[in-house]
Amino acid sequence: MGSILLVAEIQKGKVRESSYELVTFARKIGAATGRDVKSLVFGQGAQAHAEELAKKGGGEVYLADDAALANYNLDAAFAAVKAAVAAAGADIVLLSNTPTGWDLAPRIGAALDAAFVPDCFNVEVEGSELVFFRRFFNGKLDSRLRPTALPIVATMQPGATAAFEGTADGKVTPLAVSIPACGTKFIETKVAEAKGVDLTKADIIVSGGRSLGGPEKFQEVIKPLADALGGAMGASRPVVDAGWLPHEYQVGSSGQVVAPKLYVACGISGAIQHLVGMKTSNFIIAINKDADAPIFEVANIGVVGDLFEVVPKLTAAVKTAKG
Amino acid sequence: MKIMVCIKQVPHQDARLDVNGAGNWIAEDNIKFEINQYDQHALEAALALKDKDATTEVVVVSVGPERVTQSLRTALGMGADRAVHVKDAAADGSDALGTAKILAAIGKAESPDMIFAGFMADDGNFAAVGPMLATLMGVPHTTTAVSFAKENGTVRVERELEGGALEVVELTPPCLVTTQTGMNQVRYASLKGIMAAKKKPIDVKSVADLGLAGQVGEAAAKVKVEKLYTPAKGQGAEMLSGSVDEVVGKLVAKIKELGLL
Ligand SMILES: Cc1cc2nc3c(=O)[nH]c(=O)nc-3n(C[C@H](O)[C@H](O)[C@H](O)COP(=O)(O)OP(=O)(O)OC[C@H]3O[C@@H](n4cnc5c(N)ncnc54)[C@H](O)[C@@H]3O)c2cc1C
Ligand SMILES: Nc1ncnc2c1ncn2[C@@H]1O[C@H](COP(=O)(O)O)[C@@H](O)[C@H]1O
Repeated sequence: MGSILLVAEIQKGKVRESSYELVTFARKIGAATGRDVKSLVFGQGAQAHAEELAKKGGGEVYLADDAALANYNLDAAFAAVKAAVAAAGADIVLLSNTPTGWDLAPRIGAALDAAFVPDCFNVEVEGSELVFFRRFFNGKLDSRLRPTALPIVATMQPGATAAFEGTADGKVTPLAVSIPACGTKFIETKVAEAKGVDLTKADIIVSGGRSLGGPEKFQEVIKPLADALGGAMGASRPVVDAGWLPHEYQVGSSGQVVAPKLYVACGISGAIQHLVGMKTSNFIIAINKDADAPIFEVANIGVVGDLFEVVPKLTAAVKTAKG
Repeated sequence: MKIMVCIKQVPHQDARLDVNGAGNWIAEDNIKFEINQYDQHALEAALALKDKDATTEVVVVSVGPERVTQSLRTALGMGADRAVHVKDAAADGSDALGTAKILAAIGKAESPDMIFAGFMADDGNFAAVGPMLATLMGVPHTTTAVSFAKENGTVRVERELEGGALEVVELTPPCLVTTQTGMNQVRYASLKGIMAAKKKPIDVKSVADLGLAGQVGEAAAKVKVEKLYTPAKGQGAEMLSGSVDEVVGKLVAKIKELGLL
């Protein structure tokens, strides 16, 4: 029997929350299939992180500590994972679907000639086999996937399960990694600049999506409702990609994460990358002409209809109600 | 310089998607298809390099059925020089690794200086084929590029992280870069381009031509899609019904109840 290797990430000087979510998934698989849970921590000066993970469910934690791993580097990280897979005798490898995970995991999958299942929100054990659950078509459909061979390399969606919070006996094992000549080189990280609009402070946000069709429609349809409610405008990514609104208006994983008292999503389908940016809002109203749009999965109130009809009428009614 | 661009044809962004009879894919009849959004940015990145150096050859490659011909014609109309189309039922049902194996066979034969792929295909959202192709070809890669520059033998990419943060990475070509949406403004095929495209070659290949018989396709796939289904609505979702005026009335009442009016 092989083991389960989870690849942890260090972010902002801490073991990333999503790595403890991997512990939860790994322990679930481990308990049902009799596999040991093992982990990899890579970085520079990461001993304390490895010790923390070992105490908090990571099992035997391999520590690859090297100056070449100080910043994320594909080739160096790949070498560390390969060494850890071999040392652990792993036949199931779990990563988080983060910028590091989506860069690294498919390379491991291809190198191991593995069954590759990325961006899953759940895994179940059926007998000795695993089944994974993930979204297709940007969340419009869900799927159930079965790897038919080992090894399996999977990435799990951050936030898909609760982080493991218990304690368990583990240990840290230093891992020697020979870092190859690298074809990729880390230069620097640039943080997003703070701009004029800070959506995270708004109590009410009215957001529009690609279906608005152009920048003028934001002024004609979305802004009046936002103004009438005394709130701010927000947008999905295609709106910003197309240059209709600046990046500071983008809600989602690559934009702002907001949690206003009221979020009104107009013509936004509800792709996971948008949902993670707004699903903890106190109250969500979604207006979409497609009754099956995934935005309704997180909405408190759903309206199936044409936003160009519903939103202006709502704006007028809000104004009337305010007197 | 030779650039290979991987393009996948996927259902149009506004297509209505229904699960097929077998319950494991969508019903493809009666829906429109288009070049995957992310791949349009990949193609644009390649064409921008060709704009700067006319000796650059841009080769678009796609694995898929007959309908894909139209997307390849569009790519040629936008300015790509030639196309390779792997059109073979034996490729159907490949998993991401199977598709990457097919593309790698073409990549090895073409030996491009630069490869672009989309970050992810808007159908399965695997975001896997690009990096897997790079791995099988033994070249470095990076993902979610929002900017790209080629200078003095290196490639400099800004890759997108979370929350609007960026990571600047340098790669040594030959290498593979996957493109994120918004990276560039995608050009349209001009009428002249479309006319010229009619004379540009589309090289059709089978799985056997690539020496991959039995190694790709549904039987060789290590990941089986057992079921595709409409996600359940949220527990708390109350779907309003009635005329638009009635619905609007209920919304205003709710907003009042929340103390926001
Ligand atoms: C790494 C990564 C990061 C990303 N980051 C973000 C992010 O930060 N934020 C983000 O939003 N996305 C992000 N995305 C993109 C995301 O996957 C989706 O593509 C995007 O959210 C879709 O935007 P949309 O809902 O406006 O468009 P679509 O998905 O095209 O949806 C349009 C919706 O409008 C509805 N509609 C059309 N006409 C009308 C009408 N007249 N009335 C009512 N409804 C109508 C349709 O039914 C449909 O549901 C990211 C993707 C990746 C891969
Ligand atoms: N059948 C295909 N033909 C050509 N390129 C593909 C194919 N499938 C995937 N790709 C490329 O790989 C990228 C990622 O696809 P995926 O891993 O399926 O999300 C796409 O954006 C394309 O550039």
